[in-house]
Amino acid sequence: MTTPAIRATALNKTFRATDGTTVVAVEHVDLTVQPGEIVAFLGPNGAGKTTTVDMLLGLTSPTSGTIELYGATPHHAVVDGRVSAVLQTGGLLTDFTVRETIQAIAALHGRPDRVDTVIERTGLAPLTTRLVKACSGGEQQRLKFALALVPDPDLIILDEPTTGMDVAARQAFWDTMRADAETGRTIVFATHYLAEADAFADRTVLMADGRIVADGPTAEIRAAYGGRTVTLRPPSHVVDGQGIDEAWLDAVRAAVAPLGVTELEVASASLEAAFLALTSTTEAQEALR
Amino acid sequence: MSTTTTTPTTAGPTAARTTHQPLAVSYAVLDLRRQLRDKVGMFFIVALPAFLFFVFGMGDDEAYGSADVAMYVMVSMAAYGAVTATTTVAGAAATEQAMGWGRQVALTPLPALSFVLVKTAVAMSVAVVPIALIYVIGAVTGSSGNAVDWLATAAIVWLGSSLFAVYGLAMCLLFKGENAASVASGLIVILSFLGNVFTPMDGLMLDIGRLTPLYGYAGLARYPITEGHLPMDAGHDSVWLLLANVCAWTVIFAALAVWGLRRGRERV
Repeated sequence: MTTPAIRATALNKTFRATDGTTVVAVEHVDLTVQPGEIVAFLGPNGAGKTTTVDMLLGLTSPTSGTIELYGATPHHAVVDGRVSAVLQTGGLLTDFTVRETIQAIAALHGRPDRVDTVIERTGLAPLTTRLVKACSGGEQQRLKFALALVPDPDLIILDEPTTGMDVAARQAFWDTMRADAETGRTIVFATHYLAEADAFADRTVLMADGRIVADGPTAEIRAAYGGRTVTLRPPSHVVDGQGIDEAWLDAVRAAVAPLGVTELEVASASLEAAFLALTSTTEAQEALR
Repeated sequence: MSTTTTTPTTAGPTAARTTHQPLAVSYAVLDLRRQLRDKVGMFFIVALPAFLFFVFGMGDDEAYGSADVAMYVMVSMAAYGAVTATTTVAGAAATEQAMGWGRQVALTPLPALSFVLVKTAVAMSVAVVPIALIYVIGAVTGSSGNAVDWLATAAIVWLGSSLFAVYGLAMCLLFKGENAASVASGLIVILSFLGNVFTPMDGLMLDIGRLTPLYGYAGLARYPITEGHLPMDAGHDSVWLLLANVCAWTVIFAALAVWGLRRGRERV
């Protein structure tokens, strides 16, 4: 057995709000990620993704539960440079240049030798002398990704890495990521863009209200929770300006037998349907039925 | 692998990684260069006190204590510049933390305490700039005093300015936001007037001023020259009063900084 990249057991995190009430951010999260996996953490805002990421990185301590990264504490894994991250909020000094930012973080890692490598890997070479404040949101995210690559980590955790990027920048970012993943790095990314999980992750972990509500291969999640959609084209004589003839529709509902249907399309539901079904409340799901 | 290795190591995916020591000095140099490039900040830290020295006392060779008026003003302005420097750098450090750079640094092997030491070193290095420049201007334009006056005042100005790093930190932890650092260094101007740094005060204003944070520090910095005698025959301060002022404000600023830090953490 190889040591898992991540082994989190029974994680709980509660905060005390300013008015004294207790807020449960993460509740009973169990998660094991093997080396080499690419895992998407999917969920709406407030689902507990960032809190979970912070705990995995040792930036926040869990209220209860244990976390091991490669068999060590998150702090040890970070100090050893085995784990790094692209964080969601802020995180850059605007009056450094791109190159200085990378040099500064490389100095703190004791890895000045990696500066040129990560600049090349992330395509930042044309921007090295630009001040961070003059960079676009996409360029800043790219720079944060470069910082995460500095220690040459075995596991990289990305929290909403494409926030603030336009479609082209998002595409370019994932192209860079895909190229990097081929080197065998373990990648865990939090996102609320379903398409990103769909296109990039082998495995999807769905979070809602601080809990993991589904965990499995991305394709299976989509299939198992999204159901199937059947699209029918009715014969023309039942369609008029008012829509489809009610009686005919009743007949369709009543019978499984073919009723002059000339075209039948069966499509698997989008991950979006699975997402909505799993993250909406039980009452809302009942209402949908 | 290295030719000096005596025990064979097994390679593989679980092989131990080489540990790399953080290069805190390289980081400090980059950070210092960034601070010195900040034109607006450096204007208030270096150019303004140098200009005030030029206006208020440069070349005034009237005897004063063991030196002359020019040197008295020179020490005061160097103190103002140094304090603005430490306030600005420490305040900016607090703001950087709030903006998330601290989280970025937390993902490196550098221990938190070392980061505080790096920031302190940067603040104290920036403080050297106005002191050095104003003392050089003073020397060139004929401020006169004995060797002890020159060395002791410079040392007190420099070391004492660290108190205002705590002030800058406290202000920016308590009043968050991008311009907290400018507010903190702006308040230094007012506190400098009240602290008898710019124009000599007497009467009620002087009594009020004695309670303000720059008074004790500036008085101590000039003590080698004045031995506590105030300009315009406004009276005399014992060294104990000046020390008590500095100690009291150190406790107050430190308490405010700790309070601000706790408050910031609770918010999460």
